[in-house]
Formats: sequence, C-alpha cells, structure tokens
Amino acid sequence: MIKFIHQCQSGLERLGRYGLDFFERLGRAHIFMAYVLLGIKDVLRRWELIITQIYSVGALSFVIIVVSGTFVGMVLGLQGYNTLVDFGAEESLGVLVALSLVRELGPVVSALLFAGRAGSALTAEIGLMKATEQLSAMEMMAVDPLHRVIAPRFYAGVISMPLLAAMFSAVGVFGGYFVGVGLLGVDEGAFWSQMQDAVELREDIFNGVIKSVVFGVAVTWIAVFEGYDTVPTSEGISRATTRTVVNSSLAVLGLDFILTALMFNK
Amino acid sequence: MPIQEKIQDQSGTSLVKVRGMSFKRGQRIIFDKIDMDIQRGKITAIMGPSGCGKTTLLRLIGGQLRPLSGSITVDGQEVSRLGRRQLFQLRKRMGMLFQSGALLTDLDVFDNVAYALREHTDLPESIIKDLVIMKLNAVGLRGARHMMPSELSGGMARRAALARAIALDPMMIMYDEPFTGQDPISMGVLIRLIKRMNEALGITSILVSHDVQESASIADYIYVLSAGHVVGQGTPQELRVSDSAWVRQFMDGLPDGPVPFHYPAPDYDAELFRIEP
Repeated sequence: MIKFIHQCQSGLERLGRYGLDFFERLGRAHIFMAYVLLGIKDVLRRWELIITQIYSVGALSFVIIVVSGTFVGMVLGLQGYNTLVDFGAEESLGVLVALSLVRELGPVVSALLFAGRAGSALTAEIGLMKATEQLSAMEMMAVDPLHRVIAPRFYAGVISMPLLAAMFSAVGVFGGYFVGVGLLGVDEGAFWSQMQDAVELREDIFNGVIKSVVFGVAVTWIAVFEGYDTVPTSEGISRATTRTVVNSSLAVLGLDFILTALMFNK
Repeated sequence: MPIQEKIQDQSGTSLVKVRGMSFKRGQRIIFDKIDMDIQRGKITAIMGPSGCGKTTLLRLIGGQLRPLSGSITVDGQEVSRLGRRQLFQLRKRMGMLFQSGALLTDLDVFDNVAYALREHTDLPESIIKDLVIMKLNAVGLRGARHMMPSELSGGMARRAALARAIALDPMMIMYDEPFTGQDPISMGVLIRLIKRMNEALGITSILVSHDVQESASIADYIYVLSAGHVVGQGTPQELRVSDSAWVRQFMDGLPDGPVPFHYPAPDYDAELFRIEP
C-alpha cells in the first residue's frame, strides 16, 4: 500500500515537472517570438537577407510542392470522377478539385511538405550554428542573432508559405484537369465554367490564403525556435529536427480544424 | 600569503575587475566568490584543469552569462547591469577567439573578417577591403581570403577568427583555448601572433588555456583556477617556484593531488566484493 502511494506521488511529481517544463518552454517561445518580431526593422533595412532566405526556404521547396500538387490534383480528379460519374455529375469535377485544393489540401498539404522540407532544414541549420558557436560569436561581435539570423528566416517562411500553397493549388487544378478532361473525357467547357461559377474569391481563395499564412507563421516559428533552443549536440539537433516536423504537422492539422470551423461553419 | 591579499588591484590599470563573483550551473558551483584583476595592456592567462570553468569565466566577462552574485566590471562598466544596447556597445570594444574558431560557415574568410565592419560601420566597401586585407596580412592569411571555412585547417581557421576578432580594433581580446588540437607549427604561429597583437597594438589579452608551457611563455600574469576558487596567481616565474600543492600539481602535470585522480565514488573493495554498507 505504502509502495503504491509512493508510486502515485512520484507519478504526480513527474506530471507536475512535465507541466512546468512545458509552460516554461511555451513562455520562452513567446518571448523569443517577440524579439524576432522586433527584428522587422533590421530585416527591412537589410532586405537582401530576406531575399536570400526566401530563395533558401521558399524557392528550394518549389519542386517538391509542384510535383506533390500535380499528383494530389491527379488523384482528386480520378477519385472525384469515379464518385461523380455514378450520379451523372462528372461535369462538376472541376468544382470538386478546385474547392478541395483551395480550401483544404492546398494550404494543409503544402504546409506539411513545407514543415518536412524547409522547417527541418531551418532547425538543423540554426541548431548547427548554435553548436558550432556561430551564434555566440555573433553576440560577441555585438550582432544580435535573433535579428540577423532568425528574423529573416522567420519572415521568409511567412512570405513563402502562401505563395507555395497557391502554387500547389494551381498545379493541382491542372493535375485534375489532365486526368478528368484529358484521360477520362469530362467536357472541358463544363470543367472550367462550373469551377469559375462555384469558387468564390473571398470565401474560398481568400480564406485559403489566410490559412496558409497562419500555417506559415506556425511552422516557421516552431522551426526557428526549436533550432535556437536546441541542446547544442548532435543528439540535441536530431531531436530538435524531429520535434519540428512532428509539432509543426500537429499544429497545422489542429489549426486547420479551428480555422475551418471559424471560416466555413454555416 | 592569502589569495585575497595578493590580488593586484591597481585601480587605474585594471581593465577587468572580478569581485566576489559566484556562479552555479544547476546544483554545481562553478565559481565561489572569486576575485580577479586583468591589467590593461598585459597578457593574463587563466589556467586550470578541464571543466573548472575557464570558458564560463570568459562568457561571464563578455556578458553572455550573468553571475549569481558579485560583480564583473569591464572598463568601469558593470557587465551584469548593462542593458542589451549598452552591452552590445561594450562588446564592440571586445574581441573573442572561440575554441572552434566559430567562423560563419556560409561566408568566405574575407567576408567573415569584414562582417563586424559591415555591421557596425558605414565605411565604403573600398576602405573595408583595405582594412580586411591588413587584418588578414597580420595573421598571414591574405592569400586565403577567398577560401571557405570548410577548406581551412584548424590552425588557419583560428588565425582567420583572430583576424575577425581584431577587425574593430578592440581594447581587449579573450582567447578561449587557442592552442588546443594544434600541431607544433600552428601552435608556434598562434603564440607569436598573440604576443605580437599585445605588443604592437597594446591590446589587453585574456588567455584561457590548460597548455601550461605555451601560456606561461607569453603571459605576464597567471591565475590558476580549480574547484571554483583561485588556487594560485602570480607571474610565470612566481608560479614555477610556488609551493602551493594545487599550483604544483597543475604546473607539473601530476595525475593525483588536490585535484583527485578518481571522481568521487563508493569504496572500491566494497563495490568489487558487493559488501552492503
């Protein structure tokens, strides 16, 4: 009995410690973000830093986004056609493909790919800079690494994410078009005209853009914080990189539900 | 003679003053109320066994860590009380050579040395180029300006980092284990460079090292740290004839002494023969 009480006590202690660590880290992440946001002045003054990072974070993710978007659009076209044809509604394929991509799959899948491709790279790069004392060296040269290293990467991620999501949706639509119209014989005029009628600029496209901006903030924030907060060892960097991908993916899916409920709840 | 009495507080000549400074990492006490004076224009070596907190001391002086108690004053300014902006102003007058070199890996040697100049001055690029070439020439790497850090040997990386550390003509340079892992030629080059920087530019140098002979050959004054305390101090000549057991063990490289060979552990026989306490 006494042993059981001790086990309960130590279990509660562990839970309490875990809770304290979690909230302490959450607080640190918010203070970190406040400093990074203040770095906008330096980023605007040294705009070439952000251009370099947009190339590194955004342009280098372009290929994986385009290839994935094409295949997702093609699968949507195929699956959509198989379902719609049973009801004689295959001419609505364009609407199905476009709305699925613009409202959901474009922002969400591109954010998940972005977390895997760019987020992990950001964490590893910043973590390695910390492990090799490059961030300390900057501090000793009176250069604030939060403004010089982290802020350009953060803003580059936030700018790149909606552009990549838009590209994902655009090539996805063409993927659906290729399968539906090109291979399965859906009427081309119906495909485009029904899509044009059904997709609203404000409700669908604008909300999709908002989603991708929110995902961009979440994924890049997690990635740069994990890199900056990493234990500066090879194991620490490995763990931080894994945490970036897992936490970003969970954050994207969780935020997607909240945003969808707020935007499309009728 | 008690250590407290031996502290050379020549108020006008001390660039760095450490007074009653304590620092802890978790439950481990790294420094327990230590006092130190680093004199202007001199080379002061901080020596001691691995893990005694030598690098931590440099980070405390540079304001990257804050002491638990006591004070660290650099050029009349108490480091732990400075705001971020003031601290950065002070750091512009400090240089630091990291053990790993810590060169920015995405920039070549030239851009690494030019980094602080571009960040903190509005000098035209032509003048920055001249200044960087002068600094690189001082460390013998003028011809390696286009090389990336990954192409440099360990010794070259430290020389490039030294050129970067002196880019803003600092009043003080902190060297963190500059000789570790260096071949004899690179070590000789670094020793000569540190001495030359000190003599030619009058830069105050704080040299953290556990390489006894090399440090003693160029240092004007030496502090020996162990177990959170200053266990010895003096000129290299004074320390060579010191009768302190701590200093003797360190200077002579003895495996056992006040710094025990064995990390604290249960009784050896009891552990081998599984004798319950």
